Amino acid sequence: MTALLVMELGKLARLSSVRFGLVVLALFPWLWAYAPGVFDVYGFFIVSGYQVPALSLLSSMAFLLPLLVAIAAAELLGIEIQHGTLPTVLLRPVTRSQWLLAKLLVVSVLPFLALAWFLLASLAAGASFGFGPFVGGTGLGAAGLLGTGLMVPAQAWVELLRAYAVAAYALLPIALLAVLFAVLFMNAAAGALATLATLIVMELLVVFPGVTPYLLTSQLSAYVAPAVDLGWVVALIAFYCAAFAAVAVIVFERKDF
Amino acid sequence: MTPAIETVRLTKRYGRRPVVRDLTFSVQPGEVYALVGPNGAGKTTVIRLVAGLAFPTSGTVRMLGEDPHERPSVRRRLGAVVEAPAAFYPYLSGRRNLKLHARLAGGVPHGRIAEVLDRMELTAAADRPVGIYSLGMRQRLGVAAALLTRPAVMVLDEPASGMDPLSLHLVHRVLQEAAEEGTAVLLSTHHLEEVVAYCHSVGLMEEGELIDSVDLRDRRARFRARVSDVPAAVALLRAQPWVREAQRRGDHLVASFEEGAGVERLAAALVGGGIDLYEVRPDVFDLRAHYRERVTAERARRTAVEALAIDAAAVHTGRAARIGRGRGGVR
Repeated sequence: MTALLVMELGKLARLSSVRFGLVVLALFPWLWAYAPGVFDVYGFFIVSGYQVPALSLLSSMAFLLPLLVAIAAAELLGIEIQHGTLPTVLLRPVTRSQWLLAKLLVVSVLPFLALAWFLLASLAAGASFGFGPFVGGTGLGAAGLLGTGLMVPAQAWVELLRAYAVAAYALLPIALLAVLFAVLFMNAAAGALATLATLIVMELLVVFPGVTPYLLTSQLSAYVAPAVDLGWVVALIAFYCAAFAAVAVIVFERKDF
Repeated sequence: MTPAIETVRLTKRYGRRPVVRDLTFSVQPGEVYALVGPNGAGKTTVIRLVAGLAFPTSGTVRMLGEDPHERPSVRRRLGAVVEAPAAFYPYLSGRRNLKLHARLAGGVPHGRIAEVLDRMELTAAADRPVGIYSLGMRQRLGVAAALLTRPAVMVLDEPASGMDPLSLHLVHRVLQEAAEEGTAVLLSTHHLEEVVAYCHSVGLMEEGELIDSVDLRDRRARFRARVSDVPAAVALLRAQPWVREAQRRGDHLVASFEEGAGVERLAAALVGGGIDLYEVRPDVFDLRAHYRERVTAERARRTAVEALAIDAAAVHTGRAARIGRGRGGVR
């Protein structure tokens, strides 16, 4: 299993969608750091480097990050189909479920790696505003960007790390759903598109207030949720992840190659 | 002895379309079994079913006595090429690809990778990315990967497709050597002349069915002779206990002998019987002609059966219409 994981991590690093995503995530925060219209849209001026990560996350969690994660996750399976290497690997004494589980585990790391990189890029973009104590909020805590007074760096770091960790966790089922669709369709593009279509349909389901709390898309803003609600979010996302992974393994076990 | 590969009434359908029907055959250790047939006959599906990549709709597949789906560990003793050209990660070198295969197979002895690369004449290209390999080089690398674990069973789908004559010869020689060392080899191929030289058995497929099996071991032990009096020679030889079979084929005498008997004994018997012997040579089995004949006959048979079925359906429909009119059901 270790050999499989190392192999899959190596493949992940070579994916063109991962490389493209890393470039986009590295450049994206600079838009916010130097955008002239931030005040017009959000009604405030950036006063600290700790606020740029919040703006980056706020503007990308709805579409950009799910898109990048879904495409990269689907491509990790799709690259095997493209190169025709899937049967070759399955001819070795590795069970299908072992092989797919290695993929699912590596795909699960993807949102965390992406968000860690995004946070670093956002901090780099915000460096010109400084990282000292400031009056206001990080945008990722209960008091939003305006804050409640003086914020010290330690407090800002806690808010940033917590929000980025929760955001990465919320993206996890999207990555696994993309693998599930890629397994179903045996095609990376179809897998990514089906995932995005599912997310769009879920967005529309907010017109049914009864189901809204259970939707995957409702959890995408959990990074600003109060700590008291996080238990529910964690459990729901874990359920989605387990369900998507289980279905993917079951389908993959019975596929003809 | 447990067959290395055994299929019993193996059937595969995609939807309602049967791709392989009721296929029963076995391959013993050390035997080379070639599946031949037109494109779309179902050879690749059989290869994938045997290798455990596809699931049978009905029937069974056994590899070394085990079901490859229930016991994937049996694939530790399998070497296979199921793609043409053989599929590898194009950004890795041939050597790195083989290392990856070795790791997935649970490891191979030190030096084995270099050995198989050398055997397939790929040492010079071993450290170049597979992406720049020619079709023939990829195919040879595929065979190298299949040989990596010294498999007890080799399953290969068109292992020599797209190869130049030298590479083609190399691949067939390597497969022959593997069989001589006890490996059971199942391959699908269109290279009839090459396989007839060393295959033990040939299965001829058409429309998903095994329409004929030829044991080439018997065929290779035959001799064809040009003699002064063919009917007299046939009668003379049929009376000999060491002659397994003697028959006339055109202007020639064709005969096969029991173990231990040979051409010298044939010559002595004919000359002793007053028959002149002008020429004797091995009777090389013309697999291409046999293939053409059998496939053409099978297609003619199927066409006739289909025509009969259409006629029967037309008669049935006409009768039903008449009955309907009789009852006033059709105006």
